[in-house]
Amino acid sequence: MTARTHPFQRKTTVASYREAGVFWALRAFTYIILGFGVIIFSTIIYKGSPAVFGSERIDGTFPFLHNDFLFTKPQTLHVFKYKGEIKQMSAADYYTFVGQSPDASTPPPANPLTASPPSPVLSTTGINSSDITDHETYSYAAGGIWPQIVGTILLVIGSMAIALVLGIFSAIYLSEYSKQGPLISAIRLAIINLAGVPSIVFGLFGVGLFVLAFGWNISLMAGWFTLAFMVLPVIITASEESLRAVPKGFREGSLALGATKWQTVYLNVLPYALPGILTSSVLGIARVAGETAPILFTAAYATSDKLPWDLNISPDRLHSGFLGYLEYPFAWLHDFAFHGVNALPYHIYVVSSKIPQNEYTERVQYGTAFVFLLVVMMIALASVLLRIRLRSRLKW
Amino acid sequence: MVTTKASLMSQTQPTTMMDESIPTTQTTEVVHTPVATPSASDKAARLNAPTIIDINNVDFYYGQSKALHGINFPIKEKLVTAFIGPSGCGKSTLLRCLNRMNDLVDGTRIGAGSIKISGVDIYDPSVDVIELRKRVGMVFQKSNPFPKSIYENIVYGLRLQGINNKGRLDETVERSLRGAALWEEVRDRLHTSALGLSGGQQQRLCIARAIAVEPEIILMDEPCSALDPIATVKVEELIHQLKQDYTIVIVTHNMQQAGRCSDITAFFYMGRLIEIDATEKIFTNPTQKQTEDYISGRFG
Amino acid sequence: MTTTPSNAPYSNGPASEQIANIRETLLLMASLANRNLSLAMRALVERDEKLAASVEAEDSQLDELEISVDELVINHMATHAPVATDCRFMLVASKISSNLERIADQAVSIARRSLELNKEPLLKPLIDIPRMAQIAEGMLRDSVTALIERKPELAQEIIKRDKEVDAINKQLARELTSFMLEDPTTITRALNLTIVARCLERIADHCKNIAEEVYYLYQAIDIRHDRTPTS
Repeated sequence: MTARTHPFQRKTTVASYREAGVFWALRAFTYIILGFGVIIFSTIIYKGSPAVFGSERIDGTFPFLHNDFLFTKPQTLHVFKYKGEIKQMSAADYYTFVGQSPDASTPPPANPLTASPPSPVLSTTGINSSDITDHETYSYAAGGIWPQIVGTILLVIGSMAIALVLGIFSAIYLSEYSKQGPLISAIRLAIINLAGVPSIVFGLFGVGLFVLAFGWNISLMAGWFTLAFMVLPVIITASEESLRAVPKGFREGSLALGATKWQTVYLNVLPYALPGILTSSVLGIARVAGETAPILFTAAYATSDKLPWDLNISPDRLHSGFLGYLEYPFAWLHDFAFHGVNALPYHIYVVSSKIPQNEYTERVQYGTAFVFLLVVMMIALASVLLRIRLRSRLKW
Repeated sequence: MVTTKASLMSQTQPTTMMDESIPTTQTTEVVHTPVATPSASDKAARLNAPTIIDINNVDFYYGQSKALHGINFPIKEKLVTAFIGPSGCGKSTLLRCLNRMNDLVDGTRIGAGSIKISGVDIYDPSVDVIELRKRVGMVFQKSNPFPKSIYENIVYGLRLQGINNKGRLDETVERSLRGAALWEEVRDRLHTSALGLSGGQQQRLCIARAIAVEPEIILMDEPCSALDPIATVKVEELIHQLKQDYTIVIVTHNMQQAGRCSDITAFFYMGRLIEIDATEKIFTNPTQKQTEDYISGRFG
Repeated sequence: MTTTPSNAPYSNGPASEQIANIRETLLLMASLANRNLSLAMRALVERDEKLAASVEAEDSQLDELEISVDELVINHMATHAPVATDCRFMLVASKISSNLERIADQAVSIARRSLELNKEPLLKPLIDIPRMAQIAEGMLRDSVTALIERKPELAQEIIKRDKEVDAINKQLARELTSFMLEDPTTITRALNLTIVARCLERIADHCKNIAEEVYYLYQAIDIRHDRTPTS
């Protein structure tokens, strides 16, 4: 024991060991979690980025994007040995290779599990079908994921628009207009509890209400509303918080100048609450974009490789003549909204569970996950930027 | 040279006021100078000024609890009336009754009595609250400029009424800002954010915003409680100027403020009006012991 | 000349208006007191009964003003809680007004004596008394000047002049006593003149008091009762 030289001499005690132990334990847990995160993300980035940035086929143009992957439709991957050499080809390339018209062959198989390689016949290219051995096909593993990207973006934008309008309106009613009482408290509690409902339940609710009862079938519209109802609790709660965060003085100041209630809300409350509402809606965006369950039954077709605007409006649905031209946009919008789409999370689910995992399919599996992350990040970033812009204009 | 000499001379000249103002041995005539006794006559005139707000036996309730008990007194036109009293005495409640800001709080009601402004009962169902609030402006405890430009803050009330004529708006902005003694300070930055102003300027901006809609009465709910002493003095000077054109009712926690800027002071305690009189009377010789205890800081 | 005792950077508020009001009332009192003193002295020197009567008439006006100054002071103190120079000014204003009122009272006293004296021929040529009056008037004028122009050093100088008046008063008293001893018929006149001299001595004292108050107002140092500023 060293002699105590002053009253505040540091001493080594059990407590000091405990302090150090707690500190290192907390630190270790945090870093383990961080480690997992790094592993997950780096795997996705490591394995997925080649599909996007096309490390194998750099065509020399910046930013070396693999346009085929991002901007084409999915195709079936054909893997075969031609004269002992392993070849990978997308369906289109394969049919050209063997000299068979893709239109003549059967369309991509509806169920990837029962898919069987077509038996090519001798053709003008002079390729003998007997030279092709070990022929295997993998659905969706070739081509791109453009319809999925588009579908995801459409779903997010549409459902967020619906959710924001409904959410903000009901939040305004709840926090600005309604008399605070047991009924409103009950409604508020119900809304908060709704946030805890599993997303698959929302999916079933969507099927029951929109798909079956409203007869919307599996469509963009049904997906929009299902997703919107799923994020509504988040939006309403957040909007209410944001509205309440606007200083009371803005309302009183406005009312004291002879403004009506709606003038006050519209001119002097809502603009200042919007940045906050948008911030919290970022959370909603991530949820909407990421959920598979609600769109499983309501909006997504695994086989839908058409782009949402690839619509065929048959002329017999329209009136003839000038009226038909007027009718056309409405028919187009109707078909657009009531048409199923595909989405990235659903595509990930399909390609990672419905086709075998091997070196040929890895590209589409990780590539889709990588693109999905990018899309979600970009939507969130756009929303953050919008919020910053609003916030800098309206600061108090 | 000449100028130097002249200035030197003027400096060396004795400047005694007595020489000019006092007639000395030359005058034989006895001049009776009329003696002004300012305070006495002025006080009486104040108490006899015309009434603009007549508060008649008002009972006021927050839900079940009675916040005001039979308040009964008139507020005089173009004078500053101060409401003083300890926290929770009902002075702010009464103030907010005068432009029906209490309507915003759930469960409040006037139980009995009436408040008449220029003879009209403002709680009558035929009264449009929006019109009432245009005539009875309000300035709040915490200065609450909107996060807009100074210009837009001032014209907010006019835009609500659908007035968008640029000339009229410009003219109103200048008039209101001059009225609030703020024009010289902000004339070069009318289109910058009102939040860039200092606390005192913000509060004067709020006063300017209130007078932009040309009210007759301005209610002030502790307008200086968040301001530093210099800003407070400026707002008080402004109140002093504003009473030329407006009737002002001010609630204050600061008794000295009531003393400094009001003509008539009303003292409230526990939801009751204890005493109302000319401010000098309240502060030098209050009739009620409670008033004296409160203003001398001996309360409770 | 509208300088206020207040050093505040703002000058439009009700506070400075009220202070200016008090100052103006004090100035009015000072000018009335000065005039009353002059009239009383002229009544004595010129043996003018009409003037003597007017001095008494004017006195009530000063009494009213004294009351109104006190009312203004107490109202201002109650409603504005003045501090520093303003606070001292409140105390000083009240005292100055009361001194001015007493000066006017002494002038009334002189006027009354002059009525008595006018009934008989002059005892002796008036030389010392007008000199005293002249000094006293000068003291009053200068003390008010010191108040208006913020000149504490002038106020200090005034205080010294009081001694002069005292000396003349003492010398005059001796002189008049000798008159009375020599000739008992002069007793009434000599006594009246003694009283007039004493009144003037009192006026000089009041002026000295005012000067001391003015010094206190501007320097915040109390120099009453022969306390020098340095001690």
